[in-house]
Amino acid sequence: MKFLFLLIYLYSYSISNEFIFQLNPIKLMPNSYYFYGKEEYFSTKNGGDIANTSFIITKSSVILIDTGSSELYGKQIKNAISKITSKPIKYIINTHHHPDHFLGNSAFTNSNIYASKFTKEEIENNGELYITNLTNLVNEAISNTKVKAPNQILNSKELDFDGYKLKVLYLDGHTKSDVAIYDEKTKILYASDLIFNKRTMATPHANINKWIASLKELKNIDFKLSVPGHGVAFENKSVIDENINYLRYLDNTLKNSAKKGLDIFEILNLPIPKEFNNFTMFKEEFERSVINLYPTYEEELN
Amino acid sequence: MKKVYLLIFLISISLIAEGKNPLESPMFDTLIKSIVNETNYVFDNQNIIIKVPDFADNPVQVPIFVDGTKIKNAKRLILITDYNPIPNIIDIKLYNLLPIFSTNIKIAQGTPLRVLILDDKNIWHIGSKNIKSNGGGCDISSQISKNNEFEDFLGKIKIQLFDKDNSTKIKSSIFHPMETGLVFGTTEFYINKITLKTNNNLLAEMSLTQVISENPRFIFETKEKIDNLTINFFDINGNNFNEKIEK
Repeated sequence: MKFLFLLIYLYSYSISNEFIFQLNPIKLMPNSYYFYGKEEYFSTKNGGDIANTSFIITKSSVILIDTGSSELYGKQIKNAISKITSKPIKYIINTHHHPDHFLGNSAFTNSNIYASKFTKEEIENNGELYITNLTNLVNEAISNTKVKAPNQILNSKELDFDGYKLKVLYLDGHTKSDVAIYDEKTKILYASDLIFNKRTMATPHANINKWIASLKELKNIDFKLSVPGHGVAFENKSVIDENINYLRYLDNTLKNSAKKGLDIFEILNLPIPKEFNNFTMFKEEFERSVINLYPTYEEELN
Repeated sequence: MKKVYLLIFLISISLIAEGKNPLESPMFDTLIKSIVNETNYVFDNQNIIIKVPDFADNPVQVPIFVDGTKIKNAKRLILITDYNPIPNIIDIKLYNLLPIFSTNIKIAQGTPLRVLILDDKNIWHIGSKNIKSNGGGCDISSQISKNNEFEDFLGKIKIQLFDKDNSTKIKSSIFHPMETGLVFGTTEFYINKITLKTNNNLLAEMSLTQVISENPRFIFETKEKIDNLTINFFDINGNNFNEKIEK
């Protein structure tokens, strides 16, 4: 009999043929959780589950910070959250305009979605393009995903969601608008993609100097725990120093290489400093950063 | 006797290895005939170093690097891709240049990159390297040509010379849209010829296509040290942009 159930289960699975994300919310505090995204690039295998998504359960509702890279991911986190609490997900924050942080929006029909004005506009203008690009990379998991832009503009320094208060920090550097959220009650800092924990930083829209300034500001916050955009949650502020050191290394390497007239592949062949040995994705992210950023450094030289 | 068999075995392996296309593609045979017009070629990945990104994230800016200096007295250097709508990238007559070259290209999809180097015995050496990408680079119109100010910058050239032990490395870039004309509503507009001169002596001349990325960047290397360089860029609309640098 058990075998028959198994058969039926397998059969129904093969009909629905839906990509299954392995989503296990990690508990940080009694009412604060996050879903850990894989430290990988988008692939058909991970279905685009590569960024962290956090949620806070309040007295009457749930606050969700970022929504992942597809409607399907959004639906499956909604399902995973419903196993912990029956309270509705009323509030969503999109920290910035990268596709691994907002494309799950369309799974949430009755929520208010908040983002900065810049992030909202970027999502409206380039959302479709992100879907087209991701369709090639992650395939089935992103099918049916539609752009759903935020309907609320963030501009206050404090949010009050049914009596639950959160501090909002308007920073930049990873993109032109990165929003970090600080929960004073739990002392958890939701750092968005301003912080990568032992996962090499992604720089497609980065401004290195502004990013370093934002990291310094985050370091001044009296947090006990922080959920980075990528990598595991951490307590130790040395993670922020590692991020600053990496950005400085990238900046100096590109400056010196431009002075010496190196080509891109000569830079990629330089020895990697030991301190970054334990960073995941070093080779691929460093390559992407050098290819994207080096031409501007070459320009500045003349 | 065993040794002889072993020797024959090893020779036959090396012959097979030399004759085999390391990256099979249905386009290659037709392409190679149309470009080198003869069958006198060898696959030579050993003597031609080609560098491409592990994964070409941005299909309109794919950096490539070629070093064929192990082939002595190289006369010509040609770059092509198997699967681009326009296969030709560049064809350089290397009078006084080494077979070293770097630029950024556009790719429509993942494709083998072929480097063809003609040696002094008139044999073509062919290097092959696969570029992995999701592509899309030829279907995207130039970003800068949408910029209203681009005419103010059009043709702005930068040159830098870097001394090496016995040679000089040349880095040069020019502001140009390199519009493919493949996108509906756009007209092709690109640099199709470059000459490099020192003291009025021709170092090299080359023909190129719109497969080279917008605002092109180039790296060349001379056979002997130079202390001045004049570079001319000609585009298909008849513009001749030039710049001179002296050390």
